[in-house]
Amino acid sequence: MSANFENTSILTRFMLRRERVNSLMWILILGGVVILLVPGMFYALPPAERFAILETLSMPAMVSMVGPAFGEYGTYGALYTNFMMAFTVLTVGLMNIFLVVRLTRADEEKGRLEVLRSLPVGRLSNLSAALITALIINILLGLFIALGMFGFGSALNDTGMCLNGSLLWGATLAVTGLVFAALTAFFSQLSSNSRSAMGYAFMTLGFFFLLRAPGDMNPDMEILALISPLGLPLRTAAYAGNYWWPILIMFAIASVVTGFAYYFQSIRDIDQGIIPAKPGRAHGSFLTKTPQSFVLKLMKTTIIVWLVSMFILGAAYGTVFGELDTFIATNEMYQQLILGPFAIEFLEGLTIDETVAAMRTAVAAAGFAIPQLFSAMINLIMGMFVTVPSVLFVMKMRKEEAEIKSELLLATPVKRSSYMSGYVIIAFVMAVLIQMATGFGMYISAAAVLYNPADFPLSFAMQAALIYVPAIWVKIGLTVLIIGLVPKATGIVWAYFAYTFLFLFFGQGFGIFPDWAAYLSPFAFVTQLPLGPGESVNFVALGIKIAIAAILTVAGFYFYKKRDINAITH
Amino acid sequence: MSYAVEIKNLDKYFGKFQALKNINLEISEGEVFAYIGPNGAGKSTTIRVLLGILNATRGTAKVFGKDAWKDAVEIHKRIAYVPGDVNLWPNLTGGEVIDLFVNLRGKHDKALRQRLIKDFNLDPTKKCRTYSKGNRQKVALVAAFASDVDLYILDEPTSGLDPLMEQVFQDCVMEQKNKGKGVFLSSHIMSEVERLCDRVGIIREGEVVQVGTLDDLRHLTRYAMTVTTKNTIEGLDKLDGVHDIVKESYGLHFYVDTAKMGPIINHLNQFEIIKLESTPPSLEELFMQHYKKEGA
Repeated sequence: MSANFENTSILTRFMLRRERVNSLMWILILGGVVILLVPGMFYALPPAERFAILETLSMPAMVSMVGPAFGEYGTYGALYTNFMMAFTVLTVGLMNIFLVVRLTRADEEKGRLEVLRSLPVGRLSNLSAALITALIINILLGLFIALGMFGFGSALNDTGMCLNGSLLWGATLAVTGLVFAALTAFFSQLSSNSRSAMGYAFMTLGFFFLLRAPGDMNPDMEILALISPLGLPLRTAAYAGNYWWPILIMFAIASVVTGFAYYFQSIRDIDQGIIPAKPGRAHGSFLTKTPQSFVLKLMKTTIIVWLVSMFILGAAYGTVFGELDTFIATNEMYQQLILGPFAIEFLEGLTIDETVAAMRTAVAAAGFAIPQLFSAMINLIMGMFVTVPSVLFVMKMRKEEAEIKSELLLATPVKRSSYMSGYVIIAFVMAVLIQMATGFGMYISAAAVLYNPADFPLSFAMQAALIYVPAIWVKIGLTVLIIGLVPKATGIVWAYFAYTFLFLFFGQGFGIFPDWAAYLSPFAFVTQLPLGPGESVNFVALGIKIAIAAILTVAGFYFYKKRDINAITH
Repeated sequence: MSYAVEIKNLDKYFGKFQALKNINLEISEGEVFAYIGPNGAGKSTTIRVLLGILNATRGTAKVFGKDAWKDAVEIHKRIAYVPGDVNLWPNLTGGEVIDLFVNLRGKHDKALRQRLIKDFNLDPTKKCRTYSKGNRQKVALVAAFASDVDLYILDEPTSGLDPLMEQVFQDCVMEQKNKGKGVFLSSHIMSEVERLCDRVGIIREGEVVQVGTLDDLRHLTRYAMTVTTKNTIEGLDKLDGVHDIVKESYGLHFYVDTAKMGPIINHLNQFEIIKLESTPPSLEELFMQHYKKEGA
């Protein structure tokens, strides 16, 4: 038996050495962001504003994103955990997926594992070494964050960031990382290639994130959050309740999944997966006739996965609409936030039911319904997010070039412009389709939960989603230009994405950005639907965006035609 | 005279690095031309310029009389390209990739495709990610030879093939040669070049240092000679064009510049030749000699 683990320790040291740059960067950057945001947000949010933020965090849409609110604790530490924990564990999950695929299936696929296995190394040594490496890296990350947070928490006034809570923060991250390391190790056994192992792991990560959303929003469904490895970490409530029990459950989950991974590793052959690879087509289908249809074929799966996931995400948001009016009626801040711009006011001293009734009447008189008002914010966030897949469809082209595949096609009588158009058309069309899928998902589940489905008609769902399309197109256009002009600098697109994202959340109202900064974000001048009183759709802004997108795209084509493909630079 | 490939004063820079220095090449239609040189000499860069994938910094590159950069699409209707390191789409099968290339090039000969798949012993139903390097190369070769084109541009196309498949490849090239199709073959396998090629060009550090038929090249270089004589040979080392004399039990072994052969034989005659062997250099020796001589 122990022969199965022969030389695991040497392999572990070897893996840690391989990871010394990559994982260290993850730890430093992720840990650094989480730690530095402690003082960052502390000064950005003076105590007087914190209560309002806590209120925001208890909105269903926010709960669906960041987990249950611990409003009653009211300390800065609790607020910080509430704000940051969900995204941090999600990122730690991503880190572990990349890490474990890199150390297991990717090595096997590239033939490196074979070389190691020809040495006196056990059958399970590589998997063990990978998991031990993941364990060490997760512990280092957890410790770094725990100590950093405790340090800043103690240095600042009255944060409530105690040592116990800080250690719990770190432990939560480490154990979540471990669960996803184990899951990824498991999927690496199932699939015979790293791409689908990573695909399964990402899907699972997304699935668990979505699964916990309804559980966090609705106490009757909390079980959904308790069975999700992304719902459990949020229940440690570091700096608020400081519960350690979810850590134990998470650890148990990681252990069981690891057991399965070991079992499958021990029964399978090298280079094989538990799920066997099927023979494929001997002939090309009609999709291999033109460069554009070929690109479509290449991205078929990605396209379907994005459409389905965004539909599900839209549907997840739609479920919130059911109890929306009661929720708003009980929360004065929401009344102001959501109804304020529409100049709808309420009398003090009504019961909740009376408030709901009054609200409905008032909103109906203005020509729309409460779910529509609420969807405006969701649509903004979703529209922003849909930029990611849309841009990725164009980025794929750069990846093909870097992998020296583009030149195979460009050595046939295929025009560069028609090759590029395959990617660009898909990106532009997918921006529309994904937005529609999101809107449609929202519509479907809203129709199911709403007392009066006419409050959220399909036509409205579509319009409210599609109004963001020109803004997304601008970013696609920018990506096309970058790929045509400076293909090595696709990072600019993500930097720009980060800018628009930060601007969206911290731009208006916080006084961080100058006024003109809005002009740099295509999302800043989108008219949100439904329209407020006296508001009209800013068609000029939409037209300008379409024009900018078109100009950037045309310029991208122009430069792409003129440049070297995959130039080797020395 | 119409050329399949015509390169004039071609320079290519990557930033400050000069990858190609004043390349001049003329390859006739229907000619099988070998392009040899060590790794990093600029073979693939030349080919990528011919494919219109890289733009020449200076000079011109023409294929079938058309500009390689501007008329790339027109040119590509008449050529097929096989790279040395074939990267394919991991989630597509070999059959799908073959059909893609053949479809994009135009005319599709299904019977020929089937025959080639059989000759190369390729399983077209497997996903490309499961193929070894050799099998990926077979996919690209089948796709190339199943297309009806006038020039094959092959960049070390057999580096991953076994000797049996190497033979199949050589047969395919001979078949195309007999049909009057041209081949631009970059290769490291000298036996392949010796068997297939009409002319050879040698590139070194971005410069074409020699072009000619194998005989031409041999003429410029040295023959290996072994000679056994009745009397001891004297004064051979003082003759012009004799190199690397080694004394063996049977006599002498040395190299002779082809152009200086006559006087050397005359000299040897004085010592009553018993046995004389002269071997033309193999391409491999030629190649090695070239690089040693230049003192790289």
